[in-house]
Amino acid sequence: MPILEVKNVSFSYGQKEKALKGVSFSVEKGEFLAIVGHNGSGKSTLAKLLNGLLKPTGGEVVVDGFSSNDKNAVFEIRKRVGMVFQNPDNQLIASIVEDDIAFGPENLGVAREEIGKRIDFALHAVGMEDFRKATPERLSGGQKQRIAIAGVLALKPQVLVLDESTAMLDPQGRKEIAAVIDNLRKSGVSVIAITHYMDEAVKADKVLVLDRGLVALSGTPKQVFSQKAALDALGLEQPLAGIIADKLRAQGAKIPENVITEEELLGAL
Amino acid sequence: MRDVSFGSYFPSNSFVHKMDARAKILIAIAYMVAVFLVSAFHFLGFAACLLFVILATVVSKVPFLRVLKSVRTIIFFVVFSAILQLFFNKKGTVVFWVITDVGLLNAGFIIARIMLIVLGASLLTLTTSPVELADGIEGLLCPLKWIKFPVHEFALIMSIALRFIPTLIDETDRIIKAQKARGADFESGNIFKRAKALIPVLIPLLISSFRRADELADAMDSRCYAGSKTRTRYKKLRFTFRDLIGVLVVAGLIVGIVYLNGFYALNSLAEIAGAL
Amino acid sequence: MKVVAKNLNFTYSPKTKGLSFRALDNVNVEIKEGEIFGIIGKTGSGKSTFVQHINGLIKVQKGGGALKVGDYDLTDKKCDYKSLRAKVGMMFQYPEHQLFAETVFEDVAFALKNFAKDISAEEIAARVKEALSTVGLDYNEVKDKSPFDLSGGQKRRVAIAGVIVAKPEILVLDEPAAGLDPKGKREFLELLLRLHKDYVKTIIIVSHDMNLVAEYCTRAAVFSGGKIIATGTPKEIFSDKNIIEKSGLDLPLTAALTEKLKSKGIITDSDFTVEDFTEKLIVALKNGGKIR
Repeated sequence: MPILEVKNVSFSYGQKEKALKGVSFSVEKGEFLAIVGHNGSGKSTLAKLLNGLLKPTGGEVVVDGFSSNDKNAVFEIRKRVGMVFQNPDNQLIASIVEDDIAFGPENLGVAREEIGKRIDFALHAVGMEDFRKATPERLSGGQKQRIAIAGVLALKPQVLVLDESTAMLDPQGRKEIAAVIDNLRKSGVSVIAITHYMDEAVKADKVLVLDRGLVALSGTPKQVFSQKAALDALGLEQPLAGIIADKLRAQGAKIPENVITEEELLGAL
Repeated sequence: MRDVSFGSYFPSNSFVHKMDARAKILIAIAYMVAVFLVSAFHFLGFAACLLFVILATVVSKVPFLRVLKSVRTIIFFVVFSAILQLFFNKKGTVVFWVITDVGLLNAGFIIARIMLIVLGASLLTLTTSPVELADGIEGLLCPLKWIKFPVHEFALIMSIALRFIPTLIDETDRIIKAQKARGADFESGNIFKRAKALIPVLIPLLISSFRRADELADAMDSRCYAGSKTRTRYKKLRFTFRDLIGVLVVAGLIVGIVYLNGFYALNSLAEIAGAL
Repeated sequence: MKVVAKNLNFTYSPKTKGLSFRALDNVNVEIKEGEIFGIIGKTGSGKSTFVQHINGLIKVQKGGGALKVGDYDLTDKKCDYKSLRAKVGMMFQYPEHQLFAETVFEDVAFALKNFAKDISAEEIAARVKEALSTVGLDYNEVKDKSPFDLSGGQKRRVAIAGVIVAKPEILVLDEPAAGLDPKGKREFLELLLRLHKDYVKTIIIVSHDMNLVAEYCTRAAVFSGGKIIATGTPKEIFSDKNIIEKSGLDLPLTAALTEKLKSKGIITDSDFTVEDFTEKLIVALKNGGKIR
């Protein structure tokens, strides 16, 4: 049974055109789903619907049996679906790392000793054990974002939503977050990453392309990123390896249609 | 990269650092009361206060220079008040030019008073993290819950404000640079011109603060924030023997100063009586 | 205008022990007129400190070496920074965050009014129009709008117009494509080439995106620990293993592929642009009989 199900969800901010017009998909335990789409495609609105920051105006989001339409379930949903945003500076609330991570469990009324354990667990999961007493402002972008992830992991969520969480990071920071995602998946946490970086989406189990509030394409990265024409029309592009493969193919080289990574391209040559 | 010495926390594991923030705030207030209690010209009382600060600094393991640096930021204010006293106090006898002996004593008195207060306050912020400080204030304000004062929200706002100060300083710096690159001039012209020149900095700063506030609210909601009702606290403030010792020392300081004041008062009474 | 730095040094908080940090360490570089010059290196390697010297946002420290931009000597106390900044435009990350005026027109005109006090209203209008159309916005449609009502992509364009309106000779861009979606990024890079062709002579780009550097830069300088450890064409830099290792940079995809294909004996060389790389590869494949 999927841990998170989005069932025909639509949403509109007031009278304007609907931001989402009936989106459906599901995420299994431990699965990694990437959501891509150009600016204004409805990605961030969708993210906020996943943990009840916004309520769908149509359809429902079901998390581990709790429905977004049930008014009393919102905290049950938020406990299970953690959310990390773009700017790490805007989601750390305390001036000391451990105090920040404690914020979530404190809100849930977790007992003191248990909070201590959860801080240990969360810092370990993001590899930041040595920074327990540190001040976030002294950390690098990637480190800050790892602390933000730890702050969410302390709630022991089953799904982690990353809403363009790597957009403001340098390549080093992006690698750090990628490593954290790998670790989480091994421990059975599902990850939903909303991203502009196609080379991040390539690593997912499943890719969903949003366009003007609808799911335009979905499937494995290979299925999605081999459709050059469709991606172009959606304002997206293939990963660079796919672009090169395409150019070679146009000249008559025999390269399979589904080559989208460096390794695959090398293999095909 | 910026040198913000006033009020920045100096991490350590010392006796003073481990004290309960509530006790430290109370002690700091008591200490300031003591400084104000020292009656005019009786510098022995100041010496006692200075001794207290030095003692506290030694025990807190904060380098003396760090503590002294805090004075630097208010040096202008101190000098200004002292000069006012020096040149405009007409009481007493003239010792040099327009300067009177009472003016001199008053100037010294003011310098000593302000410096001692700033030293004490900065020692508090050097040994108490902003979070603990906010918790301490929340703890002390707790009785106000009886009159429905939102103590928890107040403390949370305070600690968030403290957390965002460095972020906003960086942001201001960035915006100033971006506008300077577009030819903005913040250094020349009269005061009105300069105030007007700040608009291209203040508006983006305001807008970004709103954006940050929005995102922060989402982040807090996502982490299940629901007000103070069912919250637990990871760091509980606990009153220990350390705090007792601190309270006793500062109580001793106050008693000593009051005693000194009384002693001087008695002395002058005796003098008057003798003269009669 | 050339940029010439000789033994440029800079230390943050030089007098405070513990906080003092040497950001530039004997930097020597010459950026020629007409280049698209890349400034690359890890975060904290001194890139930003260096580029902010170029228009005097950070002033050359006493004994900090020499820096000349065209005829401007930035070690000279009498250096006219305002006129320098008119000639060296600078765009920071997320430039849309510095918009402030009530209308797009006022925001774009800001730099003009600052740099040329006696400029006529007609000239301002003409220049603003030109700048807006250069970045691909319709003057009549946006000029009276509040910049805050525009979409993210439009805001960024307005911000760019607000820099190029002063017609700088050198344009410095700090991580210009950050936060853009793939289409926005592609359009931005096209704009950059257009600007370089007929608007600004020299473009200096600070970027973490090695694919972008390999594709667009004529030359680049590699910063590491406040030093420039290499200067050269993308090809020279990305084919030197020592430099890559020392600087901790990633290879652009084309360079990584070239290296591996070379070791397999499939191709011998490329200059690491996508076009040249695919061309060379196609020739090799044809010679190898894989394409007929």
